[in-house]
Amino acid sequence: MATRRKRFLTAFLLVLPFAVFLASLHVGTSQISPGLLFKTLLSPLFPSWKAAIPPSTFDIVFAIRLPRLLLALAVGAALAVSGASLQSLFKNPLVNEYILGISSGAAFGASLSFVVFGSRVPPQISSFAFAVLAVVLVLAISRRSDSPVVSVLLTGVIVSAFFSALLSLVEYFASPYSLQALFFWLMGNLWKSGWADLAVSLPLIAAGLAVLLFMRWRFNVLSMSDEEARSLGVRLRREKLVVLVTTTIITAAATSVAGIIGWIGLIVPHLVRMIIGVDNRRVLPLSAALGATVLIVADDIARSLAAFEVPVGIFTSLIGIPLFIVLLRKAGKVWR
Amino acid sequence: MSLRVRNLVFRYRAFELRVGGLAFEESRLTVIVGPNGAGKTTFLKCLAGLLPVPKGAIDLDGRDLVSLGEPERARRLAFVPQEHGAAFNYSVLDFVLMGRTAHLPLFASPSAEDVRIAEEALSFVGFSAYASRPHFQLSSGERRMVLIARALAQQTDLLVLDEPTTFLDPRHEAEVMDLARKLAAERRKTVVMTLHNLDLAVRSADEMVFMKNGRVVSSGRPEDVLTENLLTRVYDFPMTLFRLEGRTFVLR
Repeated sequence: MATRRKRFLTAFLLVLPFAVFLASLHVGTSQISPGLLFKTLLSPLFPSWKAAIPPSTFDIVFAIRLPRLLLALAVGAALAVSGASLQSLFKNPLVNEYILGISSGAAFGASLSFVVFGSRVPPQISSFAFAVLAVVLVLAISRRSDSPVVSVLLTGVIVSAFFSALLSLVEYFASPYSLQALFFWLMGNLWKSGWADLAVSLPLIAAGLAVLLFMRWRFNVLSMSDEEARSLGVRLRREKLVVLVTTTIITAAATSVAGIIGWIGLIVPHLVRMIIGVDNRRVLPLSAALGATVLIVADDIARSLAAFEVPVGIFTSLIGIPLFIVLLRKAGKVWR
Repeated sequence: MSLRVRNLVFRYRAFELRVGGLAFEESRLTVIVGPNGAGKTTFLKCLAGLLPVPKGAIDLDGRDLVSLGEPERARRLAFVPQEHGAAFNYSVLDFVLMGRTAHLPLFASPSAEDVRIAEEALSFVGFSAYASRPHFQLSSGERRMVLIARALAQQTDLLVLDEPTTFLDPRHEAEVMDLARKLAAERRKTVVMTLHNLDLAVRSADEMVFMKNGRVVSSGRPEDVLTENLLTRVYDFPMTLFRLEGRTFVLR
């Protein structure tokens, strides 16, 4: 009985992001009827339908809503799966996807783009580069240590603090105009996303997600103590590296286009574990599905709540933090 | 499969483990005893490949332990720790399934066959009914049995257990030892374990190894090597052997 309920919930959660995706194509300032939307979506396949579709509708669907939703789907899935993977790797359910300094590195990189480089280097590229640099620094500094887990997490905090200080320095010397653009980026949003953002980020995220999802069962073993994992036959150094490199790439790719969207990597895997249990064969795919759903819905709210755009990162935090407090009190025996 | 040790040296700070020569044979249960700090657990972890050992010091059926990769080693030798180190509350079956790690490539999940092997391991320790229970709910005795089941799911010829009876009540203690004997006798496994309970050790062991200060003081079949003099010397504590109806008891 319990397994039948679990199977139903699993199927429901896996379908959810696609349903929300289709529904969200309707969200926006201009109303598009379901029939017209359906025709517009399929019009590339049936050129004869094109005549009946207003060009503005075609542009709204294909140039604005579709890339933005695809990005929300990918970013939400990437952040949640990163969080779930790193929680297993570090054997700590309170670790999040930014623990190795990705958010601070990305923020500093973006600030360089907005304040120093200007339009010569877009924020997507400099934030990705500095996010990766932050992780490389963390791993290099913590490489020789008796207690790798503690040391990596601690170094992550230190490197984050360092990049935050650098960010403050850049902000201090920035003009008000570039500061505004930077702040908007830092709060996390999918506002400016177009096909150009997708062309780079989407393949990176898709490839990284495939790697992590294929090794989903392995995360059960990796969540055991290091000594136990080794005695069970895990090539620990190699497999840790695979996970760290992959999560860094997808989180940095997501952050570089969407800014810093907090709490998804912490809340979503927790919710999934409470609903379906801790087996990573389910936790990883369902985190991807629920992460995508949460970000699409949060972005729907962000773009329809007011007449102007509100950064979606504010909503994920405003919803995520109270939810997390409730979870922490109820979580019971999900972890020890 | 046999396990041979030759000129093993392992140093950690002021402690030095030094084992000149020792062999563990197929179908035999070897029990290592000695006072706290004698280096028993360190020795086991060296055997299990969890601590760095010199080249050529440990030989698994003709293969040098150092030359084996982690998966290869874990297909030959299973290590049962005193406690699990799980951060998440997996079901008992999922926990035992982790014993299949060494048989699966990085990107694979366990097949139906792997699940069958894990279920069989659980049933061998008599815990089939526990398969879907969350393993944090188990008592320490039950957890010990599940850890052994996980090691059995590894399908190795060698089994190394670190104090498998500590904290167990007499019944569970006896069950674990019966299981270890059965594995040696029926499944022809090479079983090596450390124990603190000397009566239990003397009663169950085919071979005994006595350790003190990182050295092997004596080894052999209990009936050949066990004397009051040896025990007193190993533990720095007067001990008496008492024989009754063909069984040997150690009295303090």
